[in-house]
Amino acid sequence: MSSRKKLLLKVIILGDSGVGKTSLMNQFVNKKFSNQYKATIGADFLTKEVIVDDRIVTMQIWDTAGQERFQSLGVAFYRGADCCVLVFDVTAPNTFKSLESWRDEFLIQASPRDPDNFPFVILGNKVDLDNRAVSVKRGQQWCQSKNDIPYFETSAKEAVNVELAFQTIARNALAQETEAELYNEFPDQIKLNANDNGRNRDGDNCAC
Amino acid sequence: MAAQNKVDNDSDEMPAANAPTDPETEQKERLIAAVKKEVKQLMEEAVTRKFVHEDSGGVTTLCGAVEACLGQGLRRRALGLFKTSSTTALLHKIAKHCPEAALVSARVLAAEGTPATRSASGVERRPSAPRPPLCKRGSGSLLAQSPPQSKYLWIRIALFEKQLAKIIEHLVTNATRYYERDALVADPDYGSILSSLLVGPCALEYSKAKPPVTFWTDPPADELVQRHRMSAGTTTPPSVRRPILNFKRSLNASSDDSSSVNTVTGKGTTSAKDYVESLHQNSTATLLYGKNNVRVQPKDAEEPMAGYLSLHQTAVGLVIKWTPNQLMNGYAESESVDKSLLRCHLVHASACQHTCVLCSTKPCTVYRSRCAGPLCVDCVYWAMSLQVQVWEVVYVHVHRSQGSDALILVGQDGVQRPPIHFPKGGHLLSFLSNLETGLLPHGQLDPPLWSQRGAGKVFGRGKNRRRPMPSLSECGESDEVDQDEAAGDYVFRIVNNAIADREAMRHSLLERAVQSPPRTPRRPLASTSTTSSDSSTMSVDCPPSAGFSGLPPITPAPHQPVEQTASIELVCSTMRRQIISRAFYGWLAYCRHLSTVRTHLSGLVHPNIITKEGADSGLTEEIWRSMTDDSGTVNDKNEVYRLVYYGGVQHDIRKEVWPYLLGYYEFGSTTEQRIEQDASCRRQYETTMSEWLCVEAIVRQKDREATAASIARLSEALGKLPPVESNGDSGEVFEDDCSVISDNPPIVTPEPSDNEQRRPDNKPVLSRAPSVDEIDNIDLDSEEKEKDVKVNGETDTSDTREIDSLKDLDDEDDDVHLKSVVENPDMRRESIAEIKRLAEGIVQKSDGRGLLCSVDSANVNLNGVDQRSSVEENGPSPQQHTSVIVTNPSVDLVPSGSPASGGTTANVSPSRSPLGVVREESQSAGASFDTLEPTSDQRPETRSNCVSPASSNGGVYSNELVESFALNLHRIEKDVQRCDRNYPFFTDENLDKLRNIMCTYVWEHLETGYMQGMCDLAAPLLVMMKEEASAHALFTRLMDRARDNFPSGQAMDAHFADMRSLIQILDCELYELMHAHGDYTHFYFCYRWFLLDFKREMLYQDVFAAWEMIWAARHVASEHMVLFIALALLETYRDVILANTMDFTDIIKFFNEMAERHDASAVLSLARDLVLQVQTLIENK
Repeated sequence: MSSRKKLLLKVIILGDSGVGKTSLMNQFVNKKFSNQYKATIGADFLTKEVIVDDRIVTMQIWDTAGQERFQSLGVAFYRGADCCVLVFDVTAPNTFKSLESWRDEFLIQASPRDPDNFPFVILGNKVDLDNRAVSVKRGQQWCQSKNDIPYFETSAKEAVNVELAFQTIARNALAQETEAELYNEFPDQIKLNANDNGRNRDGDNCAC
Repeated sequence: MAAQNKVDNDSDEMPAANAPTDPETEQKERLIAAVKKEVKQLMEEAVTRKFVHEDSGGVTTLCGAVEACLGQGLRRRALGLFKTSSTTALLHKIAKHCPEAALVSARVLAAEGTPATRSASGVERRPSAPRPPLCKRGSGSLLAQSPPQSKYLWIRIALFEKQLAKIIEHLVTNATRYYERDALVADPDYGSILSSLLVGPCALEYSKAKPPVTFWTDPPADELVQRHRMSAGTTTPPSVRRPILNFKRSLNASSDDSSSVNTVTGKGTTSAKDYVESLHQNSTATLLYGKNNVRVQPKDAEEPMAGYLSLHQTAVGLVIKWTPNQLMNGYAESESVDKSLLRCHLVHASACQHTCVLCSTKPCTVYRSRCAGPLCVDCVYWAMSLQVQVWEVVYVHVHRSQGSDALILVGQDGVQRPPIHFPKGGHLLSFLSNLETGLLPHGQLDPPLWSQRGAGKVFGRGKNRRRPMPSLSECGESDEVDQDEAAGDYVFRIVNNAIADREAMRHSLLERAVQSPPRTPRRPLASTSTTSSDSSTMSVDCPPSAGFSGLPPITPAPHQPVEQTASIELVCSTMRRQIISRAFYGWLAYCRHLSTVRTHLSGLVHPNIITKEGADSGLTEEIWRSMTDDSGTVNDKNEVYRLVYYGGVQHDIRKEVWPYLLGYYEFGSTTEQRIEQDASCRRQYETTMSEWLCVEAIVRQKDREATAASIARLSEALGKLPPVESNGDSGEVFEDDCSVISDNPPIVTPEPSDNEQRRPDNKPVLSRAPSVDEIDNIDLDSEEKEKDVKVNGETDTSDTREIDSLKDLDDEDDDVHLKSVVENPDMRRESIAEIKRLAEGIVQKSDGRGLLCSVDSANVNLNGVDQRSSVEENGPSPQQHTSVIVTNPSVDLVPSGSPASGGTTANVSPSRSPLGVVREESQSAGASFDTLEPTSDQRPETRSNCVSPASSNGGVYSNELVESFALNLHRIEKDVQRCDRNYPFFTDENLDKLRNIMCTYVWEHLETGYMQGMCDLAAPLLVMMKEEASAHALFTRLMDRARDNFPSGQAMDAHFADMRSLIQILDCELYELMHAHGDYTHFYFCYRWFLLDFKREMLYQDVFAAWEMIWAARHVASEHMVLFIALALLETYRDVILANTMDFTDIIKFFNEMAERHDASAVLSLARDLVLQVQTLIENK
């Protein structure tokens, strides 16, 4: 693996509106919490450099609108994602329930090479609040059932687990990226035909 | 880099001391100015960043400028630095005397020796290529972007080591030893200026810490704008940073430093990179033919060597190149040699080749002596390589033999080039045919390769090669010089009539054109030279058509002076025609362009231009008053629109004017009419509110259930059993009173409302001990209920209260309310009975546990009767009004934790209006009603108000309806709470108003529902109108247009498409950039702009102005004013965008960071200008 290869990891944060996507992103990147965030319209992103396994990696973290009907816009933003972070609010069971559909929607729209192994990370946010309604166990169970997705309980407000979670995100995204490179020297070219390659991965890519 | 050209020139005419002094000083000025500019840019960069990156483009250009200064007037010959454009040797030379130089020299040697790290960077892509500061993120881009290290290597290293200034100082003080007297460095003034200029850059910190990719993606929008401002101030355009702008400017043949070295001077390229590139198809040269393993026997080689032969069409003519295989792929073969080294060699070699290949073919001694080991070999190979300008060749000899086909080029001077041996198999033929094609239309092979007699077909196969080659005897006798005896030998003459004159022309007239940057091949300009394939002009150019017909050409040898005048005439007439044809095509293109504009854009603006005159100040209060007549009528709507469009509305009267602008008030309406309209509007608003408030209550109820359920589950999971108490109590409750159960729903309501206002406090309570809460509420409710039921009088009192409050609100409403209230008592009795029945039924049917819980809470209420709070009053009345059954079941189920069953029951049992629920809402709603003060004392009244309307509007709510409203409600609340919290206007009270507006609108449009962004649209209206009902009315009008922008509508895509056309026509340069860099011409980055009418992009004051303009523009200039504002935003920052070659992510980041920081008035006025521009475009047919 050449160390000169660009190491830009595109991370998408998804989840119902108001679960704290923007807050998490800002807590991670800017190390601060504000209660002044507005509902995200369209999309925004922040970048941050992290060191993963001695490699400097730039994370480009995309924050999206939470209302599902804005997902039609998602294609433009999801493309080329290396990792997807699904966030729910531990005090709002509904946001937990919709994780499934967020995940499916992402896989449809981003159509990653290898949907089965695409790295997701689940964050149960707002654990600083008292009125918790989704138990740790429930969250973990769901994640286990989905191919052992890493699960973190975070608080963007009090910076609980945020750093740890994003480190994991970066690492998993990087692993994904690395794996892709092993299969093909020209990942970019492959991306053009992401669908085909996802399907015929074993057959096609070995030839390269 | 022009500077380097000069260096070459200087070295050519070395002892140029006798040259006039004026141009000398001028040149020095220029050199120094270049350094100054680069230093300035670098220092600016250092100011905005903490450190400068080593690979920054600024560093490279600075080094280039310094190199140019140092190279000027260098005594190369005396120092043994012949024919080299690099000053590296100079450094090594002075190393003996100058410790700093010694240090740097050592480093340079080390750097040249070390492989690997610099591998990709050995050669600069193109000396003049602007390095876009913002690197692309494409994975492949790193290589392409990687910095030119070996270029100016020593200066670079000296700079990073902070020794550069000292070294130059040393040079300046010892100038006499190294420089001509008139050299820049030797000049007392310029020399010291140069060294002192570099002190600054030498003090900077240079770092390689971050990889260039990430480094350049970082700068925040602020900094970009800032940088742009600084650089915009400089006199010379920062060409390095504005690649696309250069494109335009280059058309004007600007002579700035971007005009580059490798505009071919006829002697070959000066940089190795160019050479490497030139072997391939590239932008400066078209590869016409390429063949490997073509053998050539160079002069000093014993036997023919294989190599790569290629034929290139460049801006100045055809070039034949042959490069030994050892150079082409030798690097790969010799495993020990590192690539970076090889690239270095290329640099050397190109210098060698520059002098050797074309002229004297003797290997360059300088590099031989400098290069150790394999390098020398390379240099030798380079010396062997061939580069021939076809127009220098007069004859092409072809010798065909058994083994191979040989081709010999004979120059004008009669010198033969080494023979080129083609492998068998038709390669020679295809080369010749390519050559002939390449010569067209200005020249041709004589005799033509393709015989006129239909031999072409045969020829094409390449098998029968003789046929197409006409026998020499036919036409060869005229001026054939030497001719081989072999039957397989042919001689072709390269006829090019215009060449000689063209050459003259090029040097005189077209010099500038040729000098302009090579990376944009400009057909029209180049067409005067021999090579262009522009057919339209070509036909004009080729008078010697006789040549084509196979007749012996009459044209004399190109170098005969006799023909000069004639050919100059020819060129002149050619140019004349070209000018005319270009003018014609220009006109044609313009016409087409216009028709495009008309078809695509005419719909975007109004055809008639309404003038601005006198509208600068906008609609001031004075003007507004003067337009209003006695009855409060404003009639001149066009004038109002015009004034508003051009100048906005004075803030004080916005509240009055906006309803007109949004079409809520009719122009020409009287004051009375408007008051009437307001009143009915408010009435309607309240009615609607009462409707959804009922549903909200149900929603709240359900929420509580759900919360309780999940909490229960959670606590179960934790092993606790919280509902124990309630279980115990439940039995009693149940027995006590069924009606109590019915009380529950109202109970629920108070809580949510509380939640809204003091959520933080409430929530924890809720979660910990929900039962307690309920108990309190229920107590009150139940008590009241009893009172109500028993004593009608009590209800009356509440009614009267209601009336009072209503009076405040609206006189007309009173009747309605009263009636409903009056009806209530009767209804209550009935309903209570019904409730009892139902409740019993439910209890029997449903799972005992759930009921017990609820009952038990009710029970508690009864026991601990607290009558003090008026809140309870509310509770009873709602239930009484309607069959609250709906609410009941759910209440029952709450504790049981099975919300689903609750839902179904709700479905079945028609609750006319769960009034109790309404109360709570009304409380918050009431608070927001302007007339009502939200003090706690008045709360009860407010509630009672709500009760009555609710009762009058009783309805059946299906489960779907409740659910969909619940969904919307939650979203609204989430967003309302987050809406402009930093803006002082949005206190809790006003946020409640906003919430009510949202809910009311959504209730009216439940099929579309709430969509994120609506809050943002409503907020400024509320800020302006202060009052809910009218803000709601305006919001409804606003949404009539804006609704389509939301995902459910189609307008957004239309906006994007329109933007695409507009920007294509108004700023194609920007469009090109967007298209080229990840193609973001989908314009998604404008999404928020259009969705919210720029509300998030500007501050409130500016939003007001922008919105007014958008509204007024519908009637004045364009129904799509948003497009033009968007365009104005883009145009405002176009230079920043271009300079940094932003891609999609860059631009999103940029505009997100620039939000609320735009100079709104400038943007708006630019938007108006753009409208006018399009209008004028369309008008001037």
